[in-house]
Amino acid sequence: MTPAGPLVIAARTSLLLVVALTFQLSVAARVEVFGVQGDVMMLIAAMAGLAAGPDRGAVVAFATGIAFDLMLQSPFGLSALVYVIVAYVVGSLQDTVLRAAWWIPSATAAIGSVFGVILYGVVGTIVGRQLLDPMLLRIAAIVAVLNALAAPLVLPAVRWATDTRDSVRARAIMR
Amino acid sequence: MALSRRTGRSRLTIALLVITSITVLTLDFRDSAVVSGARDVAARVFSPLRGVAETATDPIANAWNGITGYDDLERENEELRAIIDEMRGERVRDADAAEQLAGLLDQLDIEWVGDIPTATARVIAGPGSNFSRSIEIDKGSDHGLKVGMPVVNGAGLVGKLVQVTERRAHVMLITDPDFAVGVRLVDSGVTGTAAGTGEGKPLVVDTGLEAGTEVKEGTPITTSGSDRSAFPGFIPVGTVVDTRAGSGGLTVELVVEPLVDTSRLAFLTVLLWEPAR
Repeated sequence: MTPAGPLVIAARTSLLLVVALTFQLSVAARVEVFGVQGDVMMLIAAMAGLAAGPDRGAVVAFATGIAFDLMLQSPFGLSALVYVIVAYVVGSLQDTVLRAAWWIPSATAAIGSVFGVILYGVVGTIVGRQLLDPMLLRIAAIVAVLNALAAPLVLPAVRWATDTRDSVRARAIMR
Repeated sequence: MALSRRTGRSRLTIALLVITSITVLTLDFRDSAVVSGARDVAARVFSPLRGVAETATDPIANAWNGITGYDDLERENEELRAIIDEMRGERVRDADAAEQLAGLLDQLDIEWVGDIPTATARVIAGPGSNFSRSIEIDKGSDHGLKVGMPVVNGAGLVGKLVQVTERRAHVMLITDPDFAVGVRLVDSGVTGTAAGTGEGKPLVVDTGLEAGTEVKEGTPITTSGSDRSAFPGFIPVGTVVDTRAGSGGLTVELVVEPLVDTSRLAFLTVLLWEPAR
């Protein structure tokens, strides 16, 4: 199959972000689990790193963060900054993984979410938001579980949007 | 060789993206018109889509909240019945007091909250993320709402409008760390500035009172409504729960429990009031 051009990828990614944002604001924000909302946008960022690698993954994560920041009243650019770092870290780690086990997306989503939520708390506190409290750990734990469950559904969508097949397997074959 | 070139490129990409994020963060902190303009446009474009999605997913959200919150609701219902009975009596007394106050203020030519036109709005969305504290209501500029207008409910001050589109508005809650309001202690008339410290946490009032000054626990505070204040006066804000030494130890800082429970808001009243310029 011929690879999709940059315009097609941009269009697919935009569509993915609109759908994810609608879901986040209309469903995840209203369906709380133990007082915590799901965080689909964080999941997209982590899965972008996993699917597209540190480079392109970070670009998709940046777009995801900016789109989310536009809809919130939190400091503008904060989500973007956190998501870029999450995608880069996930992407860099993914480069070292050779096996394509079924549990890798969920494990990545869980670890990426815990890292992302805590990073958000730290950076948010630096910019004057006072987010470092016990609630942060609860948010991290619940978001990690929810995102681990949702990862097998979201990863294929991110792969489709970024036109990356199972990159781990592809690279293994190339080597 | 190929790998190191790739690593170098991705480092450059991430450096650029991080710098861009920090730049927009800085812009936002300077209250840039670009950022608020972009948010307005995004909210306007996205609003119809969200409306449709919310209507379609209403049954899911309601069912989930019904299942997970049933016990809480039952208990709360009983508590509320008791409170309503109590308040029926208080209302009669309050109405009398309000009438007298309104009369006196009228004579002194002071503005009274009860005279300000209002718009009632329904809360349509809570914070969109675990870290955002603003909420959204279903009225906008079509109903005369403007940025900066005070938002109240039956208990007292809830917050103020920070973003308004045709049919929706964002409310910054009183507990938001960016929120500040001029307040007055009801018994002594001492004024100060109350600031939010985060969702579920009390407000902190910097009074300028000398260290050692006694302030009774339970003292109610209301908005001060002083000249050029962003809020009209006499809106109940909270009650004093603690006093402590302020920064530097020279003044007293009051810890104030807001009257409004910001985690459970359903209907709000926007006061169609703008500060005098």
